[in-house]
Amino acid sequence: MSESTYTVPIGPQHPALKEPENFTLTVDGEEIIDVKIRLGYVHRGGEKAFESRTYVQNMYLIERVCGICAMAHQLCYVNNIESMMEIEVPPRAHYIRTIVAELERIHSHLLWLGVAAHEIGFDTLFMYVWRDREISLDLMEEITGNRVLHAANTLGGVRRDLSTDIISKLRKGSKIIRERAEYYKKIGLTEKTILKRAAGVGILPYKDAVELCAVGPTTRASGVKKDVRKFDPYSAYDEIPFDLITYDSCDVAARIYVRVDETIESTKIIDYAISHLPSGPIGVKAPRSVPPGEGVSLLEAPRGEDIHYCKSNGTDKPERYKVRAPTLGNWASMARMLIGGYVADVPITLAAIDPCMSCTDRMTFVDANSDKTWTWSLERLRKHAKKFYGR
Amino acid sequence: MIEVLKLLIIPGIFFLFSLALFYQWLDRKFYARLQNRYGPLHTGRQGILQPFADFLKLLAKEDIEPKAVDKYIFRGVPILFLTISITALFLIPMSGIEAFTHFEGDLIFILFIMSLVAILAFLGGWCSTNRFSTIGGLRAAVQTLGFEVPLAIAFIGPAILAQSLSITEIVRWQAENNLWAIALNPLGFGIAIIALLAELEKIPFDIPEAETEIVAGWQTEYSGRKLALLRFSFDLELIMAAALITALFLGGPTGPISVFPGIIWFLIKATIVVLILSNLRALFARFRIDQMVSGSWKYLVPLAILQIIVLQLILG
Amino acid sequence: MAMESELLRHLGKKPATIVYPFEKWEPIDAFRGKVEFDMAKCIGCGICIHDCPAFALEMVGKGLTCDMKWYPSRCIYCGQCVESCPRNAIVQTHEWNLSDSQSVEDAGKSSERWILFKRPKSE
Repeated sequence: MSESTYTVPIGPQHPALKEPENFTLTVDGEEIIDVKIRLGYVHRGGEKAFESRTYVQNMYLIERVCGICAMAHQLCYVNNIESMMEIEVPPRAHYIRTIVAELERIHSHLLWLGVAAHEIGFDTLFMYVWRDREISLDLMEEITGNRVLHAANTLGGVRRDLSTDIISKLRKGSKIIRERAEYYKKIGLTEKTILKRAAGVGILPYKDAVELCAVGPTTRASGVKKDVRKFDPYSAYDEIPFDLITYDSCDVAARIYVRVDETIESTKIIDYAISHLPSGPIGVKAPRSVPPGEGVSLLEAPRGEDIHYCKSNGTDKPERYKVRAPTLGNWASMARMLIGGYVADVPITLAAIDPCMSCTDRMTFVDANSDKTWTWSLERLRKHAKKFYGR
Repeated sequence: MIEVLKLLIIPGIFFLFSLALFYQWLDRKFYARLQNRYGPLHTGRQGILQPFADFLKLLAKEDIEPKAVDKYIFRGVPILFLTISITALFLIPMSGIEAFTHFEGDLIFILFIMSLVAILAFLGGWCSTNRFSTIGGLRAAVQTLGFEVPLAIAFIGPAILAQSLSITEIVRWQAENNLWAIALNPLGFGIAIIALLAELEKIPFDIPEAETEIVAGWQTEYSGRKLALLRFSFDLELIMAAALITALFLGGPTGPISVFPGIIWFLIKATIVVLILSNLRALFARFRIDQMVSGSWKYLVPLAILQIIVLQLILG
Repeated sequence: MAMESELLRHLGKKPATIVYPFEKWEPIDAFRGKVEFDMAKCIGCGICIHDCPAFALEMVGKGLTCDMKWYPSRCIYCGQCVESCPRNAIVQTHEWNLSDSQSVEDAGKSSERWILFKRPKSE
């Protein structure tokens, strides 16, 4: 570029990013002209690890693809394998899965709200929101035994039942969370300094959101009506009435409102599920090996649409398991959002898509000239690592 | 001899240094309580020794100087910061109506010192030759364009009342007429508080050292002893801001009950100002630099000029 | 300005922090803590070892006379072994403060600690 431009690297280590990625911004003063995104810093080889563990062991490994949407990944996995095994899960288990999934959605959205407030320098809101998030974490600990990485599901149902004690705690907790979420919505609509940083920033028009296949609250804030819970319902979502939240202003403020409104909707879903909880067993016995075939399952994680694909060959270990985490679908829109904005808006724009870098890193080789793609086997990867590090 | 004692102890260096550490503790504790958490808790009773412990820790850390910096400016900036802040503090009355040293026009001198501080911030960022420091230094310079003019105009208000440009004379006028300048200058008080928030680089105006955007702004490359001196001079600047507001608008070290020495009144009033600044720090998000400068010229400057006009109309 | 009343209200409230370790914190009933074996019930089938996602269990010996070894640093405290055991010989206690090296019995010569659950001597 010409002499008046300047490159600013954001990442891989940067206080604005909770996980490492690299954005090389070409700026002119404070305005961004070009963005180069480079992913792959936290590639952990999870998909390879799935192939050498049994289906039962993979239930816990799949949770650790993402710490915040752990239940979402595990539920997607369990749905996938159960559909391949063709077993029917009892309705009470479906309702309990829905309740824990919605609690996780509340926890994830409140976490995001605090982090977004911290990115724009509003530490007070950050502290308040994370204090209220503790309520949802304590509820999840009552139900499943752990605050994150709950492992509430098992092949064929859920692992623990809800006692009446827990149900009354759920009612109380959901009421408190709803009041606090409504207060935060009021703050988001009236606090001038938040509006100055968030309104009109990081615009993603409706056409671009559809064209670049954005997912989750990012696309719902641009007016696109896309939610897996509505068009491909799983668990108990076809029996529980709830609203699909969209906003039209396509900016960071709309993403804040979408997430806060979804938190309020989640509390309503939990209330409905508690009062209509069917009785019965909480699980059926599942076989140890899966009949040969392929399976795909979709799920609405807090960050967007999560797709899992499984190929089995009849043994008790999967032959190939692929995870398309939601944030991977949002990177193309990210470049569109950043160009034309200011350097000061980069942290809040990055935070507004709720990035979860650990979910997204995948590795494949593409030859741009000949359009050929291939992957490496584990032995090939090991050989390369030994040569690269000189050991 | 008495002068040397006054210079060293009260209201001299020892008093100022301990007050700087105390105000940092108070600011952090109040900020934390507003956010429903504890703040410093374990070092000393309720964490009162925490600022001192932080200072000592920074002194003990390794002082890394990157190869590409301009050595003399890099080393000089923290030292100059400290000395300039202390120089300004000697001109403000703290223990009696008369400051340690005063002369006609020392209000303008203090404004000049504030500009020097901004230039030092810019130089500190520029000589660090780090991308983030450069952006931070440029933002510090641009921010000065925003807050200097309303601050100067707000300060002129009490000067017009006292018919003098010396802070000591302004305090003397308020003591003699038993009238605090804030009664006739409420708008000026508000504008001075906002502009001083920008000078102290506190939220909502901590744009030059925005932690989540440009790591640490112009202070990114400082570490060890230099960072300790820089942070200490920020605390001294906090005293300077609180003491200025107290002296110009709140009557300085005087109070209704004349049994108590002036320094007690000064401490009470300055502490209230520090608490107000902490509260404002917790209340807002951070502005963008273009919003700050345009907001300052669109709102603060006209309001400050309006205040002066109203003052003149009242007086004559 | 919108949050000022909320801010001032918090001055009178107790902070939301538990000052650990000066304030006590007890785990709830549902907590998933340290794994313990009741070796009187164990039959040495090995299903728990097959199902453990973190490879944290090992059998010392074979069959009805075996002892079980558990690696606390590898374990992810998921509780799958508790569910898989056909004789309910495994429980998860409430002990969560496991980072003290003094309380490990039979620490081996290697750097990785393990706990050996021995079968009680039968008469």
